[in-house]
Amino acid sequence: MDRKCVTRILTTLFLIIPAWWGVTAQEVALPSAPNSVKFAAIGDAGTGNPEQYDIANQMTRFHAKFPFDRVIMLGDNIYGGQGESDLFKKFSKPYKALLDIGVKFYASLGNHDDPVNNRYPLWNMGGQMYYTYSTKNVRFFALDSNQVDQKELAWLENALKNAQEEWKICYFHHPLYSDGRTHGSSVDVRVSFEPLFVTYGVNVVFAGHDHIYERLTPQKGIYYFVEGAGGQLRKGDIKRSAMTAKAFDQDQSFMLVEIDGNVLTFQAISRAGTTVDSGTIQRQVR
Amino acid sequence: MMSRHKQIALRISGFVVDYLLALPIGCVAALVWANTFPDSYYRFAHAIAFAVNDVGMVFFLALITKEVAEATVSGGALHPWRRAALPVAAAFGGVVVSIVCYLAFTHNVGEHMLEGGWVAAGAIDIPGSYVIARMIFGRHPAVPFLLLVSISADAIGLACVALIHPVGDAHPFIGLGLMAVALGSAAGLRRGGVKNFWLYLVGPGTLSWFALFLGGVHPALALVPIVPFFPHGRRDRGLFVEPAPQAHDTMTLFERWWRLPVEAVLFLFGLVNAGVPFHGLEIGFWAIPIAALARPIGIVVAAAGAIAAGLHLPARVGWRELLVVGCTASIGLVFALFFAAAVMPLGPLQLQMKMGALVTIAGGGLAFAAARLLRVGRFARKPTETVRFR
Repeated sequence: MDRKCVTRILTTLFLIIPAWWGVTAQEVALPSAPNSVKFAAIGDAGTGNPEQYDIANQMTRFHAKFPFDRVIMLGDNIYGGQGESDLFKKFSKPYKALLDIGVKFYASLGNHDDPVNNRYPLWNMGGQMYYTYSTKNVRFFALDSNQVDQKELAWLENALKNAQEEWKICYFHHPLYSDGRTHGSSVDVRVSFEPLFVTYGVNVVFAGHDHIYERLTPQKGIYYFVEGAGGQLRKGDIKRSAMTAKAFDQDQSFMLVEIDGNVLTFQAISRAGTTVDSGTIQRQVR
Repeated sequence: MMSRHKQIALRISGFVVDYLLALPIGCVAALVWANTFPDSYYRFAHAIAFAVNDVGMVFFLALITKEVAEATVSGGALHPWRRAALPVAAAFGGVVVSIVCYLAFTHNVGEHMLEGGWVAAGAIDIPGSYVIARMIFGRHPAVPFLLLVSISADAIGLACVALIHPVGDAHPFIGLGLMAVALGSAAGLRRGGVKNFWLYLVGPGTLSWFALFLGGVHPALALVPIVPFFPHGRRDRGLFVEPAPQAHDTMTLFERWWRLPVEAVLFLFGLVNAGVPFHGLEIGFWAIPIAALARPIGIVVAAAGAIAAGLHLPARVGWRELLVVGCTASIGLVFALFFAAAVMPLGPLQLQMKMGALVTIAGGGLAFAAARLLRVGRFARKPTETVRFR
């Protein structure tokens, strides 16, 4: 084999390997079982900028292979103006393809949202700031972390106590644990919510607010995710600590989640469509 | 013979009480604690917030009400009521401009969730602004004028809290019924010549607290309608002026007994409410300081309008003094914290508002700068009086 031939082979490999990695990285890393619960998660998305549209397009593309039927919204769903034209430009237009195929969005509100938008029909909040719903063996709790009053805590305790489903998933805007440099953990919210989560066996918690993706090591037996980069992004905002399991702050991102029996599988995907994190969680029995 | 340590302790406690330092000390302790051991701080603060904000503050607001009630008698700042018309108008202007600026700012920066906290925008810290005014003016008519502006602005805020922000599940008819009984029994005690303030507190005061609590109104206001029934002296020596040593009317005895415990309440109030993290706050926390900065404009413009309508500024209070009074009134501290806690449930939004309330303490510096620039009070070529509190 002459030198020219070796160079050609190496060049070809040099081109093929990254391309192959790129293609496989864009693959769905979830089992996509027929009867599983499938959903997506986005936070801090409603900027109306091209990056939000890119994320929405990736979600649509991935939906073809992983047909999730719902999206949980982690707050700051609309930035700036909150009128009808804003709701169109920053929500119903970017996610039109998903809405058209029947994907339902279930919102929690962030500090930049207008509270009156809890009546926006496409967010399925039913005019409430906190609410619960279930599908198959999963119960979701959309909470209001902006203002945590005794009424909400009493409601949450009662709802958690009465939940019969195997999986209990809570989501809201302010993260109880986060390694985001800008905001970090919302300790004041944590002391209100966490005792109930621990007592009543919440399995997984999703939040936004910090414009990054982060998976944390389990805290008091509960898995926490921060996904606040669905439109916004703070590059280089992660300040890693002992509780960082995986973090990504170089591009916008969203999450896909599947729950099948006692196993939850997750995949965090960047704006470019590459997988930035994936894994499985076995349901904690408490 | 008193020991040396006891003497030192008494002198320190006297200094703290005279200069109303309990609240700032509580605030500083809360800031340090919340930023070093946040978990234990928030657990502590959440656990005793109700006891301090809804029960303890009853007595602080009662002492303020006592000053107002006494000011309505002969020699008082509110007697006849026309004397108070101009400061009330100025306060109204200050509150309106503050609220407009607050809402404009929160809307512009997209902090829509904070818009519900507008009541806190108009709050003026009565003890804090009093201390600063005394440091600038000494004994000068501008000080009672400022106190009337502060009291009026906070009365507007308290009315808004009572009427617009229901607490818990409201049972208005039960609340109204209980309040009628409370007022009736207070009137009965007054008519019966009862002078012991404890009887007013235990009977009508307790009923009033439950009336407000069940009626959905902030219960810290419980003694506001009861204190005016206390028997009081025939003449008032002035707002926040030490009562005469020989005075033994119910209001005076009430003040003497409760002054120290209220300082403890204010310390706890600062400790419970001022613990905000230094990092991670959104831009919305500037809403209250910006509203406070705009307040002097509202006060001066409204006073100008009132003067044009025929009212008069007090003697020795001109436009320069009025502007300095307006700047002094930009301190929101204790009342801004109180309103923030009253209208916004626990959580990040309340923390933003509280940080804003704390930042308004810089209004003291603004007042000093304005006084120096305008050569007013202690900065006048001939100072009006040396600075001494009590």
